Amino acid sequence: MTGVIGYVGIVVAAVAAGVLSVSGAVGAAGSGRMGAVARVAARVLLAGAAVAMLALVGALLTDDFSVRYIAENHSRATPFPFDVATAWAALEGSIVLWVLVLAAFTAAVARTVGRDDRLGLSALAVLGAIALFFTVLVASVANPFQMVVPVPADGPGPNPLLQNHILMAVHPPLLYIGYVGLSVPFAFGMGALGLGDAGTEWLQRTRHWTLFAWTFLTAGVAVGALWSYEVLGWGGYWAWDPVENASFLPWLAGTAFLHSAIVQARRGVLKTWNIALLISTFALTILGTFLTRSGVVASVHSFTQSDVGPALLGFLLVVLTGSLGLFAARAHLVAGTRRIDRLISREGAFLVNNLLLSVFTFVVLVGTTYPIVLEAMTGAQVSVGRPFFDRFAIPLSLLLLAAVAVGPLLPYRAASPRVVWQRLRWPLLAGLTAGAALVVTGVAVASVVAVAILATIVVSSIVVDAVRSTDGLPGRRVTAWWRLARRNRGWWGGQLAHLGVAVTALAIAVTGAMGTEISATLGIGETTALGGYTLRYEGVVRRDEPNRTVDAAQVVVLRDDVEVATLQPRLNRYRNSRQPIASPAIRTTPTEDLYLALRRLTPDEVGIEAYRYPFMWLLWAGLALIVAGGGWALTGHRDRRVRAAPTRDAEPIGEPDQVEVLTDG
Amino acid sequence: MDDRLRHWLLVVAMVVLAGVTVVGLATTSSPARDRTDALAAQLRCPVCQGESVADSPSDTATAIRAQIDEMVAAGRTDAEILDHYVARYGRWVLLDPPAQGDTLLLWLLPFIAFVAGTAAIVAHRRRDRPTPALTDDERAELQRQVSALRRAEDAT
Repeated sequence: MTGVIGYVGIVVAAVAAGVLSVSGAVGAAGSGRMGAVARVAARVLLAGAAVAMLALVGALLTDDFSVRYIAENHSRATPFPFDVATAWAALEGSIVLWVLVLAAFTAAVARTVGRDDRLGLSALAVLGAIALFFTVLVASVANPFQMVVPVPADGPGPNPLLQNHILMAVHPPLLYIGYVGLSVPFAFGMGALGLGDAGTEWLQRTRHWTLFAWTFLTAGVAVGALWSYEVLGWGGYWAWDPVENASFLPWLAGTAFLHSAIVQARRGVLKTWNIALLISTFALTILGTFLTRSGVVASVHSFTQSDVGPALLGFLLVVLTGSLGLFAARAHLVAGTRRIDRLISREGAFLVNNLLLSVFTFVVLVGTTYPIVLEAMTGAQVSVGRPFFDRFAIPLSLLLLAAVAVGPLLPYRAASPRVVWQRLRWPLLAGLTAGAALVVTGVAVASVVAVAILATIVVSSIVVDAVRSTDGLPGRRVTAWWRLARRNRGWWGGQLAHLGVAVTALAIAVTGAMGTEISATLGIGETTALGGYTLRYEGVVRRDEPNRTVDAAQVVVLRDDVEVATLQPRLNRYRNSRQPIASPAIRTTPTEDLYLALRRLTPDEVGIEAYRYPFMWLLWAGLALIVAGGGWALTGHRDRRVRAAPTRDAEPIGEPDQVEVLTDG
Repeated sequence: MDDRLRHWLLVVAMVVLAGVTVVGLATTSSPARDRTDALAAQLRCPVCQGESVADSPSDTATAIRAQIDEMVAAGRTDAEILDHYVARYGRWVLLDPPAQGDTLLLWLLPFIAFVAGTAAIVAHRRRDRPTPALTDDERAELQRQVSALRRAEDAT
């Protein structure tokens, strides 16, 4: 019964998506009362999608094994909250979640669309078309609601890796809000193209959505990295795995768009580039879904194979040909004649940002898809892994960090060398001091020193900016700055995110270059040493849980002959899988992480891999700061109208150059 | 302190600090990465899902690491060791495909993209008169007005 309700929900949603698409398009063409129809359709779409998702969750909670998805992915023993999270842990359910998130975004957009709002209606038409594809997908090849006859008494339960840690329950929703949210700027961009509207209205109206999606996407990628570190037990957090890349690609392109949109709003340039970037970003979210959900790349994430792959690939091709066709046909209507005055200027810095992020995106895209394309074309099997990605990602990241350090200090239009020197000299001095201090105190690792110099310049240039912008303001400087930071949330949110980027980069460099590792096989009572620690194995403790058996190795950690902790790296044997899953044990202190992963476990012997990473928590703190920066920018007052950006050539040059007009739009 | 003097002191300080950093880095010989680890990181674990031999906990990867250890001890070169595994498992085993044959393009594309992007930016720039910079007086006046505006806004 629950299955039938869910299926009806998805069919209703599909019909509503079709109606939305048509009514939006007709309304955008200027025909009367279609706006009201579109708004109702958007609400029905959300209601249908919500019914489908609730039906799925309800079936999981009531152990309704007559529903195929439940029979295949659930078991009575699956504990809360993993039973609920199972709703999006496997292929079909994850697409239902996709539909729900898209429907929620569409309904929210519809609330802002008035009767004669042609741009809004055309955007709704595009969103409706995207929703139509995904709802039909759920209703056909990815249908989780099929009846199973006879009804099995129990099921196998979810993929062990996905019920091994709570982070897996939150990672997909965060990521999907990010992925799907990027459909909104895409829809407005396509709508603007369709209407031949050369203005920046579509950018202003979507700024908030883009930022919202980007913030969640960042959080999703960060949580994915944390999950990889906490759960997979290989001692790292980022493996350049195709599915990690799938989430990183739209993030890179979206970050580029977030920046270049500012230039268009401020200076009226890069109009066509922004559309191209937006098409790429959206296409990359679909490509990411295809890579993740089709099993085209063998990886820990691609847990399934079905007809969904070809359908997604087809949709990707439709999106690309459709949007690029529209782009080619209408780009001349959008293109501006304005150009950038000088490369040494804020605009120039934005261009460099976009160049680096685009090349970065391209490198990751090529590296990820090359083996697939090559094998499809010639049958040759090759792999592209960490050494390839690192070779390009490291220099690109250093250049990006340098751009983050310098860019925000440059004035718009043209930056005279004097102004640049004036603003940059103290941060530069601070950075070089930090570098020299590290070398003198014995940290002579080139990568760490280079990143430390750049990160210090970033941080101190933010401080310089705060000091400069509070010059001449009344009251204490900190209070004045806080008033500014609250009033201009777009700018200071961006600075906060930049601070996070600096911290993240430093953490990546330090943990990567200065971590140590040892592998050892220990009998009971035997010890091994790692960077000041002594590890002693004391035996195994077995624990039976409803869905798994846990064998926890007891490893006592001593520092200077004093016991500081007992770590329990575990082997989890899930009932539905013969392959045991190892869970690492991590001890985090302010100065370092001690990370123990099991390699082998017998009653009297343990094989462990022990890692020591200095300042590992900085990585998570840095990523959290980036997300917080996005959040801060988002909390700006939405009702404050956008002030017209200065566009005339006769405008004075120089201050104020930190106004970031779009965020409140 | 005189502005010009301060300027030069800053420059000298920066040069000295940069010098200390460069000399310090150049004279410290960083411990070479363990060859076995470096090689293991370039090989794909044959029985895993997209993990390198260095990262994988599997028995196969452990065995391969032991083999590499032996080959390194026996004085085989990196290329010989990698070739050994290519002969055994195929080119698929290399996580860093060589810049030749059908993986040459993989190496070239990033550079092509970078050069094309740079060229596009340089071409995009407006090639007419440079905009004159503000004079000191103009800048000071502007700063005054901006501050006055901000104060006025703060007052509201």
